[in-house]
Formats: sequence, structure tokens, C-alpha cells
Amino acid sequence: MRHKRLYLAWLALHFLVIVTISCGDVLWLVAHRLTLLPSRFGYFARKAEPIKVRALGQTLTSSNPVRRALLTYCHIAGIERGYGYFAPNVPDSFRLGFELYYPDGQTEYTLPSVNSRAVGLRLASLLDQLGRTPHAGMREYLVKKMAQNVWREHPDALRMRAAFGIVNLPSIDEFRHGKGEDFEFLYGYDFSRSDAAAALQDR
Amino acid sequence: MRSWITQRDAFLFPREGDGWLSLLRVGLGIQTVFYAISLRHDWEYLFARNGHELVGPDVAEALLSTQSPLVPRLGWLTAVGIRIGLSESIVLSIAWWLLVIAGTALVIGLFSRASAIAAWFLHLGAAKSAGFLSYGVDNFMTIGLFYLMLSPLPDGLSVDRHWREPRRQNRQLLGFWRRVLELHLCLIYFFGGLAKCLGSGWWDGSNLWRALIRPPFNVLDPEILVRWKYLFPVAGIIIALLEVSYPFFIWGRSTRKIWLLGICGMHAAIGLAMGMYLFALVMIVLNVAAFAPDLDFVKDWRQRLPKGRNAALRHPLSAAR
Repeated sequence: MRHKRLYLAWLALHFLVIVTISCGDVLWLVAHRLTLLPSRFGYFARKAEPIKVRALGQTLTSSNPVRRALLTYCHIAGIERGYGYFAPNVPDSFRLGFELYYPDGQTEYTLPSVNSRAVGLRLASLLDQLGRTPHAGMREYLVKKMAQNVWREHPDALRMRAAFGIVNLPSIDEFRHGKGEDFEFLYGYDFSRSDAAAALQDR
Repeated sequence: MRSWITQRDAFLFPREGDGWLSLLRVGLGIQTVFYAISLRHDWEYLFARNGHELVGPDVAEALLSTQSPLVPRLGWLTAVGIRIGLSESIVLSIAWWLLVIAGTALVIGLFSRASAIAAWFLHLGAAKSAGFLSYGVDNFMTIGLFYLMLSPLPDGLSVDRHWREPRRQNRQLLGFWRRVLELHLCLIYFFGGLAKCLGSGWWDGSNLWRALIRPPFNVLDPEILVRWKYLFPVAGIIIALLEVSYPFFIWGRSTRKIWLLGICGMHAAIGLAMGMYLFALVMIVLNVAAFAPDLDFVKDWRQRLPKGRNAALRHPLSAAR
């Protein structure tokens, strides 16, 4: 067979990247004490984490061609992230709600709307990422984008408050004793009709 | 040394039939069509920049550009479309229809290679432009379509083979790409299972409960789930062990059927109980394409197909046993 060595070299590099990313994910979980393992494993995991960072070229500058080539390849092959879905434990989910205030003093509560269940799953993914991102500015920008749709659906509202928080799920025993989901408030954003008009004008 | 190289080549470049590739092509074609249909009513809502979008692709595409400017995104298509005088809405509609056409062409095996490349490009573009709105299903579709477009298409059951390209493929190359898919699945389940084994919630069943009541996966009534609470610890342990042991038991002739049925059953259950139909479908397609063609009942079925389409499906590892 022709080009056998080429195929072998690609295979080795491809799986080396997959294994490095996956090991890195597991090490991160251990280093952050999110697993069953005793805390002394966290020390070793923290020691090992830089190996993954170096192996994936993450110490290189963002414009470095090697780093860019590797990232491009990871994205086009679908191997840019690990496979620890719902692991090591299933996290609480995040929720974004909008409280609308009308000129006559009435208030109304609404959620971001989607047309299908398929996009509902994607919206949950977006909220999870908003909840975990350390970039407050990005979170605020994306909440503002979602608020623009709410303005359109509720043209009579005067002010709006977006409440972003975490939904604490009950355990089985708690549920049996009548406890439901708990909403824990994390971030709030206030918008007025004039803000929305200005944002639309900026476009 | 020479014997090691021979063994390595026998493992990585086995002479294979193309049955697995037919399964992968048809399965990913169906998956692509369903993916497009599932987003039909929200396509513009997700990808347009008209002020009516959910969050729009701007932030996701900008963040992607900081990592690499060469990763496909729908923004490329809209930029080209606008340059030649088309509206963004029309370009997005064309992209959606092209995705449906590419998926349908994959199902019947028409222009297989071009269809696989088009499906990969358009799906990846949509997944990357959606950015924060993408989840596991997009990852696995990218992986599947990436391997599909690199594999030696067209396969024996495609329209292409009978109409345009009657020549046979390189069987060692077929074996190589199948092995790549098999090894990748082993890594996916091993690391997924390992991470689950490290969480206490998979051992006491609480993670299963939480997964099933967590919005938006809460398809089943919690009152019904409570009645099955004694099954959760067992099911949680089975899931974690099934995944982490997948690379060790999926190769053996006697254990393959059990592990394959177990994993496919798990994905079917996730699809039904959590409403993740597309995720379930893509995982079942990848597993069936990689490991089902060697199972006896699949061989029996293929032997009933007309002669000439039924390539030999002998698996060197199974045969060795």
C-alpha cells in the first residue's frame, strides 16, 4: 500500500492530540478536587497539567503558526474538546429569566423563547457556558442580545430586569418530601426601553 | 522488530470490505438531514445578523478567529453572498437547503465524496457559528463526517458505484479508516467512563436522577422516576463500567455483541428519556458502523444481498480468535 508511513504518522499525531486533550480534562477535574480521589492526587494532577498545556502549544503566542495550525486541525476534526459529558457529576443547570415592568405598574415574567426542542437543548448549553465563563463582559453582552428579542415580543414594557442564576436540583429524598427546584440568583441586569433603542441604533 | 511491524500493519491496515462504510455513509446522511430539519424553524434565529437573532454568530465567530481564522463558519458564505448581491436571509436558506441535499445525497450514495465534504463543511460552519449554542451532538457529527470524507468513497452500496465509478476500493485503506473510527470510539468511551468513575454520583445513582430531572432533559415525570429509584445506583454503575471497559471488551468476538448492544441501548435510552434524539442517533451510527459489520447476524443479512455488492467482512481480530 502506498503512503503507509504517511498514514501512520497522521494516525500517531491524531491520537496523540486526542489522548492529550482527554488526559488534560481528567487531570483538570482531579486538580480542582472535583473527583472521589483523595486531595493528594490533586497535587500530582496540578504538577502534570503544564505537560498538556505545552504539548498542545498553549504556551505559544496566539499568533504562532504552529499553535494556529494545531487549533485549526482540532476544530476541523472535531477533537478540540474531551468527552467527559455529565462527568464526574451532573452539574446544576442555569436559568435566565426576564422580569418586565409596564407603565401601569404591572409586572410579567418570561423566559427566552425558542421554536423547537432541538434549539431548547442548545439554549441550555448557552446558559451553562454563560454561567461558567469568567468573562463578565461577554456574559452581559449575550444577555443583552437575548433581552433585545424580549423587547420586541413585549413592545409595551418600560423596563426589564434580567435575572441569571443557578437551578439547584433536589435529591430524590428531598423531592419525595415535597422540595422542588431552587433558583439561586447570581447576576442581574437592568435594561430600559431607551437602552434597547440605542442598541438597535448602533447596529 | 520485523514481526512487530508486521503485527502493527496487520492491525492498522487490515484488508476490509466496505460494509462499515455503507453504514457510516447512510447513517450520517440521515443524521445530517435530521439535524437540518431540527433547526429549520430557528435557522435564521440562530445564524442571522438582522437584529432578530437569539445571540447571533458575531461573538462565536470572533472568538473562533482568535484561535484560527481558517475554521469554516457560515459567516464566510454570507459574506460571499452579500458581495454578489444576495441578502443574508437567502444565503442562509441556500446553506440550509445545501445541507439537506448533501445529507440526502449521502443516504443514496450520489456524488458520495463531494456530498460528504459539503455536509462536513456546512455542518461545521453551522456548529462553529452557533458557538455557545453547540453541544455534544455537533462534536460527534464533525468527527463522523471528517472520517467519512477522508474514507475511500464510494462504497459498494452507493449509487455512485453502479453508475459512475465501478472500480473497487483499496481494501487496506478501507481497513485503516475503519480502524481509526474504532480506536477513536474506544478513546471516547474510555475517557468518558473514566471521568464518570471518578464522580461519586455515578456510584450512588444520584447523577442519573439529576440528569433525568435537569432542565431541559426532564422529559419524564419525576413522580414516575421516584418509583424506579432503587434502579438508579445499579444503572449508574453499569453506565460508568460499560463505558470505561468498552476498549477492552469491544474487540473480543464473544463480548462484542454484549458491549455493542449495551452501548447502543444506553444511547437509545438517553435519546428517549432525555429527548436527545440527535445525540443518540449519531452515537448509534458511529458504533454500528465501526463494530456491527462483524456480528454474525449482520453477516447473515449481508450474505443475502445480491452478489457483487457483498464484500468480505472478515475482521482480523475476530478471525484470530
